[in-house]
Amino acid sequence: MDYFMTVLLPMIGGLGVTMGIFLITFFVSIPLGFGFTLMTRSRFKIINAIAEVFIYVMRGTPLMLQLLFVYFGMPLLPVIGPILTFNRFPAACIAFSLNYAAYFAEIFRGGLLAVDIGQYEASKVLGLSRFQTMVRVVIPQMIRVSLPSVTNETITLLKDTALVTIIGVAEVLHYAKAAVNRDATPFAYLVAGLLYLVINFVITLVFKKLEEKYDF
Amino acid sequence: MDQHVIQVNNLTKSFDGNQVLKDISFTVNRGDVVAIIGSSGSGKSTLLRCLIDLEQADGGTILVDGKALIENGVSVSPSQIKKVIAPMGMVFQHFNLFPHLTVRENLELAPKLVKKMKQAEMDAACERHLKQVGLFDKIDAMPKTLSGGEKQRVAIARALMMEPDVLLFDEPTSALDPELTGEVLAVMQELAEEHMTMLVVTHEMGFARGVASKILFMNQGVILEEGTPEDIFEHPKHDRTRDFVSSLSNKD
Ligand SMILES: Nc1ncnc2c1ncn2[C@@H]1O[C@H](COP(=O)(O)OP(=O)(O)O)[C@@H](O)[C@H]1O
Ligand SMILES: [Mg+2]
Repeated sequence: MDYFMTVLLPMIGGLGVTMGIFLITFFVSIPLGFGFTLMTRSRFKIINAIAEVFIYVMRGTPLMLQLLFVYFGMPLLPVIGPILTFNRFPAACIAFSLNYAAYFAEIFRGGLLAVDIGQYEASKVLGLSRFQTMVRVVIPQMIRVSLPSVTNETITLLKDTALVTIIGVAEVLHYAKAAVNRDATPFAYLVAGLLYLVINFVITLVFKKLEEKYDF
Repeated sequence: MDQHVIQVNNLTKSFDGNQVLKDISFTVNRGDVVAIIGSSGSGKSTLLRCLIDLEQADGGTILVDGKALIENGVSVSPSQIKKVIAPMGMVFQHFNLFPHLTVRENLELAPKLVKKMKQAEMDAACERHLKQVGLFDKIDAMPKTLSGGEKQRVAIARALMMEPDVLLFDEPTSALDPELTGEVLAVMQELAEEHMTMLVVTHEMGFARGVASKILFMNQGVILEEGTPEDIFEHPKHDRTRDFVSSLSNKD
């Protein structure tokens, strides 16, 4: 039990960092992703193209590479490098938010496609503006369709936060590794695994509630 | 003051080279119930949808309450379009209720957002129109719990909430099981008796014959024949009209 506490206590500190990256990424990448979804549906070809390329690059390259690029690569860029120099934690949040925005953009795009054209037509003949139609009619239906995929993606996001050890952010896995190396027992890995499971349990519960709310 | 509620002159519409409406002209007077009949693909839906800007005509003129939606092939400005189509409501084949909203919320969404109606006023109108379609007990139901006939009656009530001068119906009973069409047609008949101006695309010959004041028979993008139910059903001028009418009437 004592050993459990000596392993767990530093990990609790790491858990704060893990949750920080997780929550910031979640709350930034969802609206950002929806913004990209709207861009892919814009009338203007150039806006379309920007969003398509962004999504393609973010989904087509490893998240680990993006992480390394933001933290180690961008500061080395000529001219703009100094402005694009970030500490470990913000660098991790930036890379994760951009990457996950691309995935959420694709999920929301699918969700929008699932909304029947008749919903737009009914809204129009009732006199709703485009904005009112989007907010009051389309988005709630998009959310229902997207929720299961968003749940999956969110669970993946939590697990992916472990990748940030590569740029030396001290989160849960970082402390687990340190303990395992120090004490030559895998116990700390099990504790870390348990922490991820507990958080994912909570995430799953929250999304279950949301899915119930959006079950119409 | 003998202004037509709807006046259409020389309307044309193509979908990528396929001319679907060819030189359509007709008028609708206040209180008219116009049944638009014709075989599938003859352009009935397209015509109805052009009137309320769900499709944009290529040529011709549409006047609603004397105000142009399109004049000699030139559409008016988007803000003007909104104003011109505002006095019209539409009921769709597939109801298009908002699935995430209760019956009450379906009815009250547009009055609240578009007309900024007061809650008490909306609730009163909601109650009145739901009673009119016989569904007041479903006020808090979700659409998915309703039968097709009930959904369509809610859709009609929702359209009535905006107090339209004209109601457009595109095959309102075609998606319903046969035993459910009657309840919807009964509501429409009551509206007709209250002198609601209606344009109804339908295959229900009983309704066209019994309720319509005027029938347009469409064939391959033109109004081949136009007249009273008596004209169309008893003395059709064209063989096509007779064939169409008798083929559908015999089904019942
Ligand atoms: N959005 C569209 N794009 C291309 N063709 C269409 C479209 N809507 C209708 N059409 C064509 O126009 C013709 C008339 O269709 P429609 O007005 O729906 O006929 P009806 O309602 O009388 O069955 C059909 O040949 C149909 O395929
Ligand atoms: Mg049709």
